Amino acid sequence: MEDLEDLYENASCGYLSLGADGVIVKVNKTLCNWLNADSYDLLGKRFHDLLSVPGKIFHETHFAPLLRMQGYFNEVALDLVSSTGEYIPVLANALERQSEDGNLLFTRVTLFQATGRRKYERELVDARRAAEKAKQDLQALNEGLARRVTEGLVERIRLQRGLLAEQEVARLREQFVAILGHDLRNPLASIVGGLNILSKESQTEKAKRVLALMSSSTERMFSLINDMLDFARLKSGAGIDVEISRTDLKPTLEQVVEEFRSSHPTRAIASDFELPSPVDCDPARIAQLVSNLMGNALTHGAGNKPIKIVACISGDELTITVRNHGVPIPKDIQDRLFQPFFRAGASSGNQGLGLGLYIASEIARSHRGYLEVRSDQEETKFTFTMPASSATPD
Amino acid sequence: MSVIKRNNVSVRGDGDRAMVFAHGFGCDQNMWRLVAPAFEQDFRVVLFDHVGCGQSDLAAYDPERYSQLSGYADDVVEMCRELKISKGVFVGHSVSAMIGALAVLQAPDLFSDLVLIGPSPRYIDDGDYVGGFSEGQIEELLDFLDDNHMGWSAAMGPVIMGNPERPELSAELVDSFCRTDPDIARAFARVTFTSDNRDDLPKVTARTLVVQCKEDVIAQQRVGEYVRDRLPKGELIVIDATGHCPNLSAPDKVIEVIKEFV
Repeated sequence: MEDLEDLYENASCGYLSLGADGVIVKVNKTLCNWLNADSYDLLGKRFHDLLSVPGKIFHETHFAPLLRMQGYFNEVALDLVSSTGEYIPVLANALERQSEDGNLLFTRVTLFQATGRRKYERELVDARRAAEKAKQDLQALNEGLARRVTEGLVERIRLQRGLLAEQEVARLREQFVAILGHDLRNPLASIVGGLNILSKESQTEKAKRVLALMSSSTERMFSLINDMLDFARLKSGAGIDVEISRTDLKPTLEQVVEEFRSSHPTRAIASDFELPSPVDCDPARIAQLVSNLMGNALTHGAGNKPIKIVACISGDELTITVRNHGVPIPKDIQDRLFQPFFRAGASSGNQGLGLGLYIASEIARSHRGYLEVRSDQEETKFTFTMPASSATPD
Repeated sequence: MSVIKRNNVSVRGDGDRAMVFAHGFGCDQNMWRLVAPAFEQDFRVVLFDHVGCGQSDLAAYDPERYSQLSGYADDVVEMCRELKISKGVFVGHSVSAMIGALAVLQAPDLFSDLVLIGPSPRYIDDGDYVGGFSEGQIEELLDFLDDNHMGWSAAMGPVIMGNPERPELSAELVDSFCRTDPDIARAFARVTFTSDNRDDLPKVTARTLVVQCKEDVIAQQRVGEYVRDRLPKGELIVIDATGHCPNLSAPDKVIEVIKEFV
């Protein structure tokens, strides 16, 4: 037979009965054991006296009013405080007993220990809060990212517009240079024509000298204008225009050397051309290339030492080298020699536009060849190499 | 959104003079169910829910506006203006006692009489002032509230629905519970228990009755006495009731002292 007294006193849950005035009138042994108290300690107290401070507030603001309003209140999480100050997490169910006319007779409270469950629920709340925070962080991150992408895009569009504007300005400038170059050539050609006519007449010694100087100056001016036009063409992306034909280069090169000898009578210029077979090239452009290399050597080489030009065909390759003596070209400058407008040092005022080597290298390129420089204490050597025959694969 | 709808305002009774009932933290206008009807003969009885509670419009909850009691007081003023209330009676329970005091400071013409049930101008102890709680205990409360929201909205609803003995309570309480947003409840608890309106009390010139329960762990008797002492026209009645909600535990006594006062 079940012992009902024992069932109440030693139940697996705590029992508590409150009088109509809220005072504890009965309590079971189980609850006394949890609270480490005797029943006579608890009788006469109020339910909230057994609770933690937050529990007291919750009891007064939620538990008691709602219990009064609906007659019961289930599954309330509370913390009991034992006589030794220990917290006992519980879940509480409460039920009012009312008289026929609705007056409160007493209230029964059942308490279940819920340490693990309460802990688990708290972890759920914490996890939810962490998830919400992560969601907010992610949202903020996304917004930041979207903003940065937009800013980047705006910046890029701005840069692109700037670039396009700059490109347009550069295009107009190059167009202007090309037109200017062409227009300068016509009056210059008239001057050259005039000089030719005058040079055929009898002249004083002084006039001869002046005419020779004027001829040399006009040639120099032609060469500058041609460089400028070539440059404008290169910048427009068109490349150097070449007309390739099978050519015996020897007479071409000899003529260039002769011109330099007559215009620089004080300088020693040695030449050696071993060209047994013709070369597929544009002779005028090769002459221009060699002329630029020699002009460079005369300008920068030591004045008291000879310059030497050698051309030979070995295997399938044509090689032309121009050497001079003098101060070696520093390594870092060698790398930039073939860039447009490059001018070594500030000392020389009569170097021209700084386009000579750039155009020479472009001519080499348009012949599927290349230009190299090597410079040391002994000598400075520019070497032009290209395939001798256009039929030869690169 | 009208103020009337936002605060779930209901107006009953035939009197010329208005009596506005304001609920405290933890419940809604339902807590006046045993008190308010007693005044419907002589007063225009106004009941409402604070925004975030009961069946107020949760969408109207603005964390910034309601981070101070003055936000709730603004609502009371707006609502009373809408209802054209003048020289009425304000009955405020718990935190709404101070909300009513702030409202009447803002608009003195609204109420000529205040009834403050279980008021506290500050819950946290401060020097010689004893509010009853330490700062740490209030922080503990905020965490504790989380523990009880798990069971509320999901588990309580169906059980209440199935309560055959008192069917009249079911629907509205289910609604009420389901609308208890844990974050709002937490915020309301914070603004309630961290408020300090001690210096507002001397400015309240309306006649004021402080109704104090004998054993109230939330607003102790000495706090009630403090409120009375700082009010220019304050009187205190200690009623023979226990707990913080005499509106529910001793409604007859509450009705009696209010009737006597007005």
